[in-house]
Amino acid sequence: MSYLTVDSREVNGIPVLYVNGYLNSLLGEEIERVIQNLVNDGGQRVLLNFAGTRLINSIGISFIIGVVERMTERNGMIAFCSLAPTNRELFQITGVTRYVKSFETEDEALAYLGRAF
Amino acid sequence: MRLMWSQGAEFSFREGEFFGREEELTTLLRVGLEGRSGIGASVLIYGPPNVGKTSLLLKAKADLQSLPEGSALPRPFPFYYSFSKILSHPLALSQHFLQEYMWQLLVFLGEEPQAAFDPEAMCEGLGGHGLGGCRDFVTAHRKYSDAGDGLSALANAFSFPFTTGGKDFYPVFLLDDFQYTIKLQSIPDGAIFSILRPYIKSGHFPMIVSGSSPGHVTSSLKREGLYGSFQLIEVGGLSPEASARMWASLFERRQIRMPDHLLPRAAERLGHVPIYQRMFTEDLSFRNAQVTDEVGFENLYALSVTEGKLNRYWREFFENAFPSRARRARAIRFLKRVLVDHFPIDSFEGALSLMGAPPEEGAEVLSTLEFKGLIKSDFEHIEFVNDPVLADFLYWAFERGVLGKSPSQAAAGIVQAKLSRTALEAGGNEREKRAAVVKQLMRRWDCREVPAILFDFERFREKFGGKGLLEVVIGLGDEPDKVRLPKISSVSTGYRTGRGGARFDFDLVAYGFLDADFSEESLVIWAVDVSVERTLAKPEIEHFENRCRLLSLEKGLKETQLRKWILFDGSVEPAALELAARAGIHLTHGSQVRLFLNLFGMDEIEQAAPPRPAPEATAAAQPLEFELVLPIKGETEVVAARVAEEVAAYASLDKDTVDRLKMAIIEACINAFEHSGSESGKVRLRYVLSPQKIELFVEDDGKGFRAGAAGSEPQRNRGWGLKLIRELVDDVDVITGDTGTTVRMVKHFGRDMATDVAKAPDAGE
Repeated sequence: MSYLTVDSREVNGIPVLYVNGYLNSLLGEEIERVIQNLVNDGGQRVLLNFAGTRLINSIGISFIIGVVERMTERNGMIAFCSLAPTNRELFQITGVTRYVKSFETEDEALAYLGRAF
Repeated sequence: MRLMWSQGAEFSFREGEFFGREEELTTLLRVGLEGRSGIGASVLIYGPPNVGKTSLLLKAKADLQSLPEGSALPRPFPFYYSFSKILSHPLALSQHFLQEYMWQLLVFLGEEPQAAFDPEAMCEGLGGHGLGGCRDFVTAHRKYSDAGDGLSALANAFSFPFTTGGKDFYPVFLLDDFQYTIKLQSIPDGAIFSILRPYIKSGHFPMIVSGSSPGHVTSSLKREGLYGSFQLIEVGGLSPEASARMWASLFERRQIRMPDHLLPRAAERLGHVPIYQRMFTEDLSFRNAQVTDEVGFENLYALSVTEGKLNRYWREFFENAFPSRARRARAIRFLKRVLVDHFPIDSFEGALSLMGAPPEEGAEVLSTLEFKGLIKSDFEHIEFVNDPVLADFLYWAFERGVLGKSPSQAAAGIVQAKLSRTALEAGGNEREKRAAVVKQLMRRWDCREVPAILFDFERFREKFGGKGLLEVVIGLGDEPDKVRLPKISSVSTGYRTGRGGARFDFDLVAYGFLDADFSEESLVIWAVDVSVERTLAKPEIEHFENRCRLLSLEKGLKETQLRKWILFDGSVEPAALELAARAGIHLTHGSQVRLFLNLFGMDEIEQAAPPRPAPEATAAAQPLEFELVLPIKGETEVVAARVAEEVAAYASLDKDTVDRLKMAIIEACINAFEHSGSESGKVRLRYVLSPQKIELFVEDDGKGFRAGAAGSEPQRNRGWGLKLIRELVDDVDVITGDTGTTVRMVKHFGRDMATDVAKAPDAGE
C-alpha cells in the first residue's frame, strides 16, 4: 500500500502542495523534503492543501511542526487549507495552529498568502 | 588481570549473618535441585539495591554446595557470577566469564587452581575430570579476541558452561546484577539473553537471574520472548522476626545492648534491610555506644545517616550513579521531594515536570534511577522504592547541599521529625477510594462549564440545604454563575507511605490548562485534599493552606494558577468555613460531588460496586465484539483504523466521531509498536460495540517503557500519542500487567448534559 504522494502546482507564484493519504512519518518526510527543496530554491511562501488527507498521526504532525519551524525561521509564510475537522482539532491540540493560519478553501488561503507580498 | 577476579565473591558473604528469607531460599533450592533430573526452571529475582539479593544468591550457593555427603549424583555445581564488577567491553566480559567458570568449576571439583589466569593449565585440570572440550572454547576465544569480535566471543564464552556437566555434576546458574549486561559497549541490549535463550528455552538448566532493574531486565526478557519462562521473586526487607534474630546475632558479637522492646522498632526504622542493620551495628561499635532508650536510638541513627556508615553508603551510591555533580544534585532534590515531602508522583510526566529539567535530561535521570532500582516504572506509572534510610539520607543531603546546614542540624531535624510525628494518616482506605473517584472526575473536565456553586459549600447549603436532588438539579440549571473547568492533562493521586511525619502532600495534584490552550500562561495546578473526618475543622484547613503556600513557593506559581480544593463528607465547623473562604479554598461536600458525577454521567463510579452492566444494556442486545491481530510492521495501524470504521458503521456513528476513533486507534497502535520492544511481535485489538458506547482495546505483550533509550524514533514526538488519544476519546486507561500493556479507549454515544441531568432524579437518592 502506498499512501504517500505530495503533488504540487503553482498558483500565482505560490507553490501549493497537495498532501494525499495517511500523514505518517513517510509522508511527513516527503513533505519535509519537498519543502526543503523549495526553501533551498529561495521559496518564501507555501500552501499545504490537506483535502486529500483523512488520517494523521502524531509522528506526521511532528514533521509538520518541523516544516513550520523551518519556514518561520526564514521569515517565510505557510498556510493550510481544506483540513478535515478532526485534523484541524489535532493541529489545535498540538499547538500547530498557533503559528499557522488555516483556511476552509484553497482560494481563501491563496488570497491570504498573495496579499502578504 | 588478577584485579578482575571475583572468584565467587564469597569473601564478602558471611553465612552466619544471613537471616530469614526462608520462602525464597526454598524456591531457589528447589530450582537448583531439580536440575538433577534435567529440569531447568528459571527465576528472576529483583528488588531495590542493597536489600540482600546477592546474599540470597550466595546463601543458595552455599546451601547447594553443602548437601550432605553421599547425596545422589549428579551434584549441583552452583556457579555464581556478578556482572557488576566487569568492564563493559564484551571481550573483557567474555574472558572474565570464561575464567570465572573454569576457576569455580575447578574448585568445585576439588582442585586448587592457581590464582593467575592460565587457561592452558586450567583446561588441563578440567581435562583430568573428563571435561576435554574446554580447549576448543579457549582457542575460539583467542581467535575472536584477536579479531576484536566481541559478540562472537561472548556467545562462545557463555555457551561453554552448557557443555559441561554429566553424571557427576550439573551447573546451576546464579547470575547477579544482570541489569549491567545491557550496558555493554557496541552490543545490542539484551544480547546476553539472546545467547542464553536456547539454553533457557531448553528447560534443562536451572537459571537464577537477579537484578535491581526489573524494567530493563524484563523488557529484554520480553524481547526474547522469555518473559513467560521466568518465575519472578521480588525481594524486600526481612520479616520482623528475622530482623530481630539478626540484631541479636550482630549485637552479641559486638557486645552491644539494646532494650528488647526497641529491637522491632529499630529494625522497622531501618526498613528491615540487613545491610543497614549491619552498618548501624558497626557504627554503634565504632562509637562505643549503647542504646538505652528510644531517643538514644534516634540520635545514634541520625548520626549514622548524617555522618556515619549509612551516610557514606548512600553518598557513594549517588556519586557512582551520577558522576556529574549537577545531575546528582538534581536527582537528589527530586527524590527528596518524592520520598521525604511525599510529593504525589505516580506518572512519568508528573516526575519530569517535578524535576523541572529539560525532558531529555529528566528522562536520563529517571532512567538511571530505574537502572539502580530506586524506581519501578512502566509505560505510564512510576513507583518509588520506599526506603526510610534513603529518605533520611536525602533529607540530610538536601539540608546540607541546598540549605547549607551542618550535619548536626540535619541530624536534629531527623530526630525531631521522627519524635513529633502525628497520626495524620487516618482513614487511608476510604480516602483512597474517594480520591480515585475524583481523579476520574477530573480527567473528564475538558473545559466544560459547571455551576460555580458546586465549588462553594456555604452557598450551596444556603440555597439548597434540605432540598431533594431533583429540586437541586432543576435549581442548578438557573445558576448564572458558571466555572469553565480546565483541560486536565495529568492527575496523580497522592503518594502515601506508612511513614509518619508532617504531611506535605495532597491527595490529588492535577495539571491543567485553561481553555485547552497548552501554554505556560494558561497552566493551572489543582491541589486537592479528601477529608474523611466527621467534622472538617479549622486546623485541617490551616494545614492544607500551608501546604498550598509551600507548593506555590516551590513551583513559583501565581495566585491564580493554584486551585485549592477540599472535598469532605461530614459536617464543617463555622470557623473552618470562614477560613476557607478567606484563603480562597473551594469546599465541596459529598452531595455536591454526587451532582458533579451526575453531570459527567459517571454516577455509577461512586457506588464502587463491582462493574455491572448498565440497566438498559442488559435488556438490549449483547455487545458486538470484534478482534484483530496486527503484525508490528509498516503501516498496519491503518488496517486497525479501517476496521474501526467498519465496526463504527454498525452503530451509524457520524463521520467526525469515526475519524476521532480512527485517529485514537492509530496513536494507540503506534504506541504499542514503539513500546512493546519486539520487532516480530503482534498487537491484539478488540472492538466492543454496545448500544451506549464503543470500547477499543489495544494490547501488546511487551512492557511499555518510556524511560529507556529513545532509539531511532524521532525525539520530538515523544509522549504525544497518549495526549492525543485523551483528546480524541472520552476515557483512556493504560493498564500494564505482567503480560503486557493494554490501552482501553471508550467513546460514549449521544451523551450530552441534557440527558444526564434529566436522568438525575432516579439516580438513587
